[in-house]
Amino acid sequence: MALVLISMIIPALNPLGLPLMVGDMSRAWYRTVDELPEGSVILFDIAFGSGGYPSLGPGTIAAFHQMFEKGHKIIMMATDLEGSMMYPLIMDSVKPEQNYGAVYGEDWVFFGYIAGGQTAMAGILGDIRALVSTDYQGNDIDSLAVMDGVNGADDFDLVASITTSGDIAEGWVYQGYSQYNRPVIGGCLSMMTTSIKPYYDTGQLLGLMDGIKGAADLEFLTKHPGDAIVSSDILSFSQTLVLIFIAVGNIAYWIQKGGNS
Amino acid sequence: MVSTDPQIWIAAFLTLAATSYAFRDNKVFKFAENIFIGVAAGHLVVMGVKNIRDYGWAHLAQGEIIYAVVFLLGILLYTRYHKEYYWLYRYPIAFLVGNGIGISIRAAIHSDFTVQIAQTASPLIASDAMGTINNIILFIGVVTALSHFIFTYEGMHQGVLGYAPKVGRWMILLALGASFGNTVMTRFGMYQGRVVFLLREWLQII
Repeated sequence: MALVLISMIIPALNPLGLPLMVGDMSRAWYRTVDELPEGSVILFDIAFGSGGYPSLGPGTIAAFHQMFEKGHKIIMMATDLEGSMMYPLIMDSVKPEQNYGAVYGEDWVFFGYIAGGQTAMAGILGDIRALVSTDYQGNDIDSLAVMDGVNGADDFDLVASITTSGDIAEGWVYQGYSQYNRPVIGGCLSMMTTSIKPYYDTGQLLGLMDGIKGAADLEFLTKHPGDAIVSSDILSFSQTLVLIFIAVGNIAYWIQKGGNS
Repeated sequence: MVSTDPQIWIAAFLTLAATSYAFRDNKVFKFAENIFIGVAAGHLVVMGVKNIRDYGWAHLAQGEIIYAVVFLLGILLYTRYHKEYYWLYRYPIAFLVGNGIGISIRAAIHSDFTVQIAQTASPLIASDAMGTINNIILFIGVVTALSHFIFTYEGMHQGVLGYAPKVGRWMILLALGASFGNTVMTRFGMYQGRVVFLLREWLQII
């Protein structure tokens, strides 16, 4: 543990500037958002909590930078219980009012946490007003300009989610792509990538942000360097240490096995 | 210059307290653990009450009587704690299960079976060499991994045919290895976020 800690502190204090190779999945996420016409309506699910924030927070921030920069309208919600706690953290970094002149209620809205997983997704995509009458701050959603003409799936130009839950990631593919035939992009923890990537490979997800690596890619592509790019060096360095441990462990095992035989 | 913000100090203390478990279970870790559980439970209750108010009571108050049924089903969930009427909780559970399956099953079959099978059955030759190699690996991986789970025909695991399940086993192990590698990266990614917080927000040395 001490070695791991040291392997993280050294590159944090002295950034190595290791090259960043942008992956196809992140590039596809960026391109999908970039190609939307200005003013497109995006449904965005902040589906992670404090535990997932170090991995997914930077990517969410970079994603919002790109969406606000392009002048898209964002309907935000949270299918994770702690998502409503992450929202102010993320917005404090994005600062849409200061950076992009965006106005709450006109350019974006946050519904807060909606329980039910896929039931909530189906509700939002089916008929928003049958499910939600007020936003997170208690404003009547009919009084918010961003909600004008936005009633359900047909009014969303893109569905995006960033999550620590496999059920939620799959749920948006099921409901967004399969049920309502909307373009969907997703972000998830790296450990979920092997199970979520088949949806990207089959075109059900148009882009996939793969944990902190995907976040670093997105920060690079959006030209908003943040915590993820700082993390890249730390992760590369500390995981090299893990690889060395694995190699040493295996060599020791084979030497011991050879000695015993 | 170390931060003077008490919030940062509390966060830094709890981060270090949680990390201390990596060396040995101790009282400082227990303290941090209990605080986390308490805060999470408190947040859960608040969010639960808010959801009932916003997505249930608000509709009922507007005269949508159907929501009375929803509340009734919700209350019935608590009958499981009653010795005599515990069986009533089965109705809301049946509703939840039926609703969940009904909402997801069509889309699940489409996304997880129809689309995946159609994609796997696509032509092996792609527009570029890498695409073709990927398609061939995918095809071999799917066929051999499936063959590994054929237990009703003994010949599948013997002779020449026996190579297919063996290759399939290697394919599964490779997939598990990739998954494990990603898991390590995720855990490191989570912890390095706290290390950066300690160095930047608390100690302010980066």
